[in-house]
Amino acid sequence: MAVSVVINNLVKTFGETRAVDHISLTIDPGELFFLLGPSGCGKTTLLRCIAGFHQPESGSIHMGEQEVTRLQPHQRDTGMVFQSYALWPHMTVTQNVAFGLEMRKVGKAETAKRVAEALALVRMSDRADYKPNQLSGGQQQRVALARALVIHPKCLLLDEPLSNLDAKLRLEMRTEIRRICKESGLTAIYVTHDQKEALSVADRLAVLNGGIVEQCGTPEDVYLRPQSVFAAGFIGETNFLDGTVKKILGDRLLVSTQEGDWESKHGLGSYEVGDEVSVSLRPETLHIGDASAGQPNVVEGIVHDTVYLGEVAQHQVRLGGDNGKNVKVFDLNPRIIARNAPQKATIWVDAQDVVVLPRGKA
Amino acid sequence: MRKSSAWIIFGLTLSVFAIAFIFPLSLVIKNGFVGPDGKITFRYIFGVFQNPIYLEGLLNSLRLALGTTFLATLIALPLAWMSNRFLFPGKKWVNALLLVPMILPPFVGAIGFQQILGQYGVINSLFGLEVDWLGRGRWMGVILLQSLALYPILFLNLSAALANIDHAMEEAAENLGATGWVKFRRITLPLITPGFFAGGTIVFIWSFTELGTPLIMNYTRCASVQVYDALKEIGSNPFPFALVMVMLTVSVGLYCISKFFFGGQAYAMQGKAATTFTEHKVSGVKGLLVLLPFLIVISFALLPHLGVILTSFSAPGGWYRSVLPQEWTMNNYSEALGHSMTVSSIRNSLVFSLLAVVFNLFFGIAIAFVVVRSTIKFRGVLDGLAMMPLAVPGLVMASGYLAASSYFSNLDVVRNSDWLPHLVDVKTNPALFLVLAYSIRRLPYMVRSAVAGLQQTSAGLEEAAANLGAKPLVSLKRITLPLITANLIAGALLAFAFSMLEVSDSLMLAQRQDFYPITKTIYELFQLIGTGKYIAAALGVWAMLFLAVTLVGSSLLLGKKLGALFRV
Repeated sequence: MAVSVVINNLVKTFGETRAVDHISLTIDPGELFFLLGPSGCGKTTLLRCIAGFHQPESGSIHMGEQEVTRLQPHQRDTGMVFQSYALWPHMTVTQNVAFGLEMRKVGKAETAKRVAEALALVRMSDRADYKPNQLSGGQQQRVALARALVIHPKCLLLDEPLSNLDAKLRLEMRTEIRRICKESGLTAIYVTHDQKEALSVADRLAVLNGGIVEQCGTPEDVYLRPQSVFAAGFIGETNFLDGTVKKILGDRLLVSTQEGDWESKHGLGSYEVGDEVSVSLRPETLHIGDASAGQPNVVEGIVHDTVYLGEVAQHQVRLGGDNGKNVKVFDLNPRIIARNAPQKATIWVDAQDVVVLPRGKA
Repeated sequence: MRKSSAWIIFGLTLSVFAIAFIFPLSLVIKNGFVGPDGKITFRYIFGVFQNPIYLEGLLNSLRLALGTTFLATLIALPLAWMSNRFLFPGKKWVNALLLVPMILPPFVGAIGFQQILGQYGVINSLFGLEVDWLGRGRWMGVILLQSLALYPILFLNLSAALANIDHAMEEAAENLGATGWVKFRRITLPLITPGFFAGGTIVFIWSFTELGTPLIMNYTRCASVQVYDALKEIGSNPFPFALVMVMLTVSVGLYCISKFFFGGQAYAMQGKAATTFTEHKVSGVKGLLVLLPFLIVISFALLPHLGVILTSFSAPGGWYRSVLPQEWTMNNYSEALGHSMTVSSIRNSLVFSLLAVVFNLFFGIAIAFVVVRSTIKFRGVLDGLAMMPLAVPGLVMASGYLAASSYFSNLDVVRNSDWLPHLVDVKTNPALFLVLAYSIRRLPYMVRSAVAGLQQTSAGLEEAAANLGAKPLVSLKRITLPLITANLIAGALLAFAFSMLEVSDSLMLAQRQDFYPITKTIYELFQLIGTGKYIAAALGVWAMLFLAVTLVGSSLLLGKKLGALFRV
């Protein structure tokens, strides 16, 4: 039942803006795939192209064996969950959910059975006769999901489904959505600008920026091994230091920056000596305090601000003297808090946590 | 706002409504139910249904109302839908022109209409026919005329309702397999139904009890005209009151149905619309095809206006069995301003309407404040009360005021007084009752306007002023009123314009020539043999210009929210 979705060289332009710029993606059957990016990156446009609400200028979309690029929305057999839920206020929960089956001319008994199943799946069986405006935001969300799932779509499309919920409910619903997607075994494409949502729920994700795919991979792939300054900066927090490749030492690159020299196990073979690069250092990979002997990437700095948050202390550390940059350092389970900043400190990082990226804009 | 001030306003409004709204209505009900022996009887009400003439009148009125609402919907719905979906050349212009019929009370348009469709009118002259278009089936003429005058109310409501639909609602339907007609019938139509009822109820009540148009079209077999004729012999005959009772029941019933089933409001859309609807751009031949229905409706709707304008420039008797007037003149205008009846009527209308506006501004602002800003228990009641005049047709109010007037003038204290009859006896001076009628009937528009303004103005702004030391009245004057000025002016303009051209109360309450307002004068002039019709047309053109200016003014101030004023 689950099918793959293959997007090939898709282009969609609005006036002067190219919202989707030659995007190609392959989403595997049964995969929960995220489109992640800031507003205006083209993620919603891409989703609406897949749903058929936008006609792309060129490129193709396949669902399984079938090409759907020129099909009307109602011919595509996708189930979409809208950002505003778009539950019809004049129909009850049951009527909302049954609508798609009615359009497919499914018999009455079968409809009743499938609606009950769908409502059970989203745990809304006890609200079947309510009107949408009698439900809370989270409940409406569940009904919208049931309405999209009940037709057994080829592919489930979710457009920022949690953006109208409060923070606590959002946490609850995102695990809930993952459970429902996995239980129903559907291919699902999920649009969001919330990186935590993407990291925690996605099988794989694509980071979009300015209509192009910056990077596509599993959450840990994209987080630990970003391939562009944008991808590194958009997902999680990081420190960028500009520098040049100084040497290649066996299995490592040596990058020299104003703030110090950094050995990295990433990007070997991609750079030559003299290339201008950015070094990405995640705050949680930076350690503060004494390094063991023989540890590379040890630099001296000055802590001049500390925010204590209980489980973590966030230090602002100036590296490389007066001309250097501040880096953020997260010290987990902090024991020593420097109250009387500024204070000297030693910073170190493992070579496998130093990511070298082509110079670019975050 | 302080609870004590809220309660003061509440009490004040309640007493004004009790005297000027509930008391007259209760007299209508009493006159319809209480026999000469002082006992309650259903004889009159049953009498209405047993008397074939009254029964026919009621059924004809019902036919007029249903026909008008149906035809107006037929005109307004497709236009509103196309205007919502398509961006076509000239759209801005036709959308504005569509509202033009509102600048003329339909009964003035009837004068022009007859010139065009009458037996010796333009159409017959043009095609060499002798068909009496308006003759036998005169009710069709009334329906056509009323629909052409009232469809803008529906158009505004339907447009607002369509614009309110979260486009994702329709996309969700498409996504699940519904397109075209199915999508429209199952999703779009139900979503705009509250908006349709909000406007449709106004159109229905208006056309059900419309007095001016049937009078001019000489269609006497409908309830409103029967009431008008019968009430000339006030006091003696209880049947007109029973007839009014029936009309009141139908109107209020429909109002309540609309209010309670649809809440008078569109469905609150859930959350923020994720996808705003972009109009589909059409140009070339397709654009013209979309534009065409708009142009057809506008040209039909403007026919009565054109007729009135041409009549006003025609020499008396100079437009008969010809396409255009044979003899042109400006004399009608100078005569209109020189005629003994017109000068005083313009002055009367101005005075009455201005007083009504002052009344409306005061109570409109006060009521809106209690409804929006106070937390007192019965503020919802106040809101409902202020909207009630929408459910009560002018004809009914006029009957109530006539009854109230005769009740008061028969009191001993009034009879023995020199000046009290000038206040409460319409036969001596109808000013008080006319001002009250104008005020009460337009109060809903004013309250709507002010409430809308206050809801858009955060209470925090007033709190900030209070925090810095401003007393309530100071912050009202310095902060709140300036912020809602646009709404107040718009509401006041509408109240003023509609008071100036109010028909049923004016026709029924003004009984002495020196107290005639403009509309009554137009009607009386129209009935004069010879030059009357032409002078009436000239006065009508003046009224048209006047309403045009005020409506353009208020729509500029209110923008797209103009539609919000014409709903229950």
